[in-house]
Amino acid sequence: MDAQSIITAAKLIGAGLAMIGALGGGIGIGLSANGAVQGIARNPDVAGPIQTNMILGIAFAEAVAIYCLVVALLILFVVK
Amino acid sequence: MADPKQDAGKKSKFKEIGLPLLIAAVLGAIGWYFFPPIMPHVQLPAEKLTHHPLISLPMPIGDIYLTNTLVATFLVDLVLLALVFAVQKAAKSGDLIPRGIVGVFEATLEAIYNLTETTAGKWTKVIFPYFATFFFVVLIANWTELLPGVDSIGFLHKVEEGVHGYAAQGPFLIKQPGPYHVTPWVRVASTDLNFTIALALVSVFMTQVIGVRALGLPYFTKFFNIKAIFTVKPWWMGLIDFFVSILEIISETAKIISFSFRLFGNLFAGSVMLFVIGYLVPVLLQSAVLLLEAFVGIVQALVFGMLTLMFMALATHPHGGEHEEAHA
Repeated sequence: MDAQSIITAAKLIGAGLAMIGALGGGIGIGLSANGAVQGIARNPDVAGPIQTNMILGIAFAEAVAIYCLVVALLILFVVK
Repeated sequence: MADPKQDAGKKSKFKEIGLPLLIAAVLGAIGWYFFPPIMPHVQLPAEKLTHHPLISLPMPIGDIYLTNTLVATFLVDLVLLALVFAVQKAAKSGDLIPRGIVGVFEATLEAIYNLTETTAGKWTKVIFPYFATFFFVVLIANWTELLPGVDSIGFLHKVEEGVHGYAAQGPFLIKQPGPYHVTPWVRVASTDLNFTIALALVSVFMTQVIGVRALGLPYFTKFFNIKAIFTVKPWWMGLIDFFVSILEIISETAKIISFSFRLFGNLFAGSVMLFVIGYLVPVLLQSAVLLLEAFVGIVQALVFGMLTLMFMALATHPHGGEHEEAHA
């Protein structure tokens, strides 16, 4: 096993580990959808604004997962 | 015992949905057979299109090359200018019924103006231009991703053996053996950190300017709350207030990072996903991903604009009694 393949293996493992952080984003998106659906079930008239705000909240929760993705991509494609 | 009416409905449904899908699948399969897709080559920094720099500046900045994301930025500017002139022409013509793209523009502007009014109150007229500009620039920059040819048409350059690359084929190519990589002429502007950081810097800097306009010099007590040390009653509470105000500086800096990396990450991940899906499932599935990317593009543009709006609106409020949280 030469050094280059060890480095490649470490990069792949590191990128995989970095994506663990997407867990938080997933939980956040699930919670916000949960809350929005409950709100719409109680008061269907305000479904429109609730959906808009839910999508905004999802975008913020998703941003954290996207940071992890950026780190993973950096490890895969930039670190030599 | 089929009802003839229902039968006709079924037929038209097949014509509307089934037939185009079938044709697209057949075309995709033909393309996949003759030009088999390869694992894409992913590069984070924007590719340089010229060998010589456009401008050479002294060292801290260095050479500026014509990159493919810069080309995309110019295209975005051109599209925006065309929109501006179309809307101006329509507004000057005295025609009260907006038609076509002008109507879409008016409806969008009205929607985001109302959004600004509910958040910004009497500062609407100051804050709205930033919100609208960020929204449209980021939206059009994101949606260039959906055009065919973006990210895929460009120069071929040879790479060393053993790396995945295209084999040169087709009537116009000189057939030299060896894998090639494509350096696209146009790449989505938002997949370049320079673009997103520039937007984020403008947003955060103008937030401070609007804060000073609204509150005058006392705006800076948000960052250096020396007054609290002497006025708040138990002295150590004042000291805590002072350190919290120092933390505001860090939060302001973090805004730049979160603004820029959110946009960059979403769009870069989107284009990588488009390539990888095109490599794994070359038929049909990419269209669905394109639809998702159109949605992501508009949501990210809205998020960028709305966060700017919220931070600017927060900066116009005098701070003191209440503790407002604004993290993102």
